[in-house]
Amino acid sequence: MISVRGLTKRYGGVRAVDDLTFDVVPGKVTGFLGPNGAGRSTTMRVVMGLDRPTAGTATVGGRRYDEIAAPLREVGALLDADAMHPGRTGRAHLRLAALSNGIPRTRVDDVIDQVGLGPAARRRVKGYSLGMRQRLGIAAALLGDPRVLLFDEPMNGLDLDGVRWIRELLRGFAAEGRAVLVSSHLMSEVQMIADRVVVIGRGRLIADADVDDVLRGLGGPRVRVRTTCASDLERALADHAAVERTGPDELEVTGLDTAAVGDAAHAAGVPLHHLAEVEHSLERAYLSLTAGSADHQGRPTAASAGDGR
Amino acid sequence: MSTVRTVSATSAVLIARTCRAEWSRLWTVRSTWVFVGVTGFVVVGFAALLGAEASGPSGPPADATAWDAGRTTTMFALFGVLALSALATTADHTTGGIVPTLQWTPRRTVLLVARTTVVAATTTAVGVVLVTAASLVVLSFVPEVGAPIGEGVETLAAAGFVLAAGAALAVGLGLVTRSTAGALVSVVGLVLVLPFLLAQLSVRHDWLVDVAAALPGSSALFLVFGEGPSDDMTTSSARTTFTLWAVAALVAGGLRLLRSDADR
Ligand SMILES: Nc1ncnc2c1ncn2[C@@H]1O[C@H](COP(=O)(O)OP(=O)(O)OP(=O)(O)O)[C@@H](O)[C@H]1O
Ligand SMILES: [Mg+2]
Repeated sequence: MISVRGLTKRYGGVRAVDDLTFDVVPGKVTGFLGPNGAGRSTTMRVVMGLDRPTAGTATVGGRRYDEIAAPLREVGALLDADAMHPGRTGRAHLRLAALSNGIPRTRVDDVIDQVGLGPAARRRVKGYSLGMRQRLGIAAALLGDPRVLLFDEPMNGLDLDGVRWIRELLRGFAAEGRAVLVSSHLMSEVQMIADRVVVIGRGRLIADADVDDVLRGLGGPRVRVRTTCASDLERALADHAAVERTGPDELEVTGLDTAAVGDAAHAAGVPLHHLAEVEHSLERAYLSLTAGSADHQGRPTAASAGDGR
Repeated sequence: MSTVRTVSATSAVLIARTCRAEWSRLWTVRSTWVFVGVTGFVVVGFAALLGAEASGPSGPPADATAWDAGRTTTMFALFGVLALSALATTADHTTGGIVPTLQWTPRRTVLLVARTTVVAATTTAVGVVLVTAASLVVLSFVPEVGAPIGEGVETLAAAGFVLAAGAALAVGLGLVTRSTAGALVSVVGLVLVLPFLLAQLSVRHDWLVDVAAALPGSSALFLVFGEGPSDDMTTSSARTTFTLWAVAALVAGGLRLLRSDADR
């Protein structure tokens, strides 16, 4: 549905996006991940026809966005919730959207209800909180009931209820067969809602895969064991799996499941005090993928550098 | 054949829709109402002063008609038209509103045509209505001066042309600068300030006369009052000069809108 092919975007000397290729398919939520300045917003701006690509193409349903006559019926997007005229009411903003795309006015009230903007829609955007502006932007994206949706960090500024609402909304869209691209900083969120992830760093593609595959890519199941004979168990497992000593009495084993580790311990006559699988998190996969491609890395503060981890 | 008809029908629909959206975009912000209100107050208020003076003991000037007030107030109306046109054009670029605008109307040629047409036509219409109102206000004070139809048509046609060309110039400069201050300073400078400044200086420098005559503001003065910095000016030369300025600004601004990234 969304096709990005060899996309490069330079701003003066900055290569914001560099030869990027990926697809966003219907029926799935695709998470768009990357460190600050990776080029996610830029990619979305090019897809939406706001910025001109330096090279390559970005199409939606086979067409460039700016070739679509009534685009809101095909593509809905929330790029930057702050980018709107502050002097208009939320409702006037949505009415403009409806007018310019030949969408019946009744839809405006529908989406106002759907995003829970309520009576605030009659107030001017100037007085909206970030969360309210996000909701208004989402309302505009939903107005034309489009098959393709793009959201740039939609959870920004939303409270817990809002985040939960968005999560269900996005899952619901994918279940209805729509193509959903959502960028986020919240790795845990993406893990919860995305079927696929596209990870970029410094404008280049780092990973484009199913979430499950990325997790598996970390090297299979990881098991934590505690035993007073850690060295004996370490020796017994060394030939079968990667073993890491994580404490005086603790090992982490990658490549074997809990049953195999338990059997090996039994065979070696090692008593176990703890045996459990460690949940992989996308966060971890993401960190290992993007290590070395972050443009803006904060220096660790003295406190966190000194805490011995 | 049928394809061509379908295509042109849809672009006509698209342009019509976009024009309606631009109309709504213009009137759903308070600043438009404020500008129209203030300009109306100044233009009609000034006409009332003129009328009150003419109905006083000294009476109206000899040969005066109500349309003299229309011509005088055209320059006030022009200021409002320039400012509103510039502001209506730059608002999207200064507020980030251009992001949703281009999401809803991604065909930039369509946006360019609709925005230029709606903003320039609306502000011009407002200006002409105010100039007419000013003339009628004076007429109501001193009915004896009269308002000959022929002169009225001429006056309003000249005012309409000047206001429309000024509005188009302001829209073009707004698209070029994408900044309210930049657009206001450049358009007010070109149309209302520089011609007067140069006229002061031109006493000492002949070539300044030619420069002054080439400015859109001198065209405006000549078309409205029949006076200009240079004796070589004619109605058609003034019209051509002003039109060229407006077209050049629109071409430059249009190219910026069509070619470059939607800054925010
Ligand atoms: N209009 C612009 N002019 C110049 N450089 C730009 C412009 N827009 C983006 N960049 C640069 O391009 C790079 C990518 O920016 P982009 O906003 O796409 O990153 P991002 O992945 O969305 O990051 P963030 O987490 O900060 O939102 C950055 O280095 C940024 O400074
Ligand atoms: Mg971003």
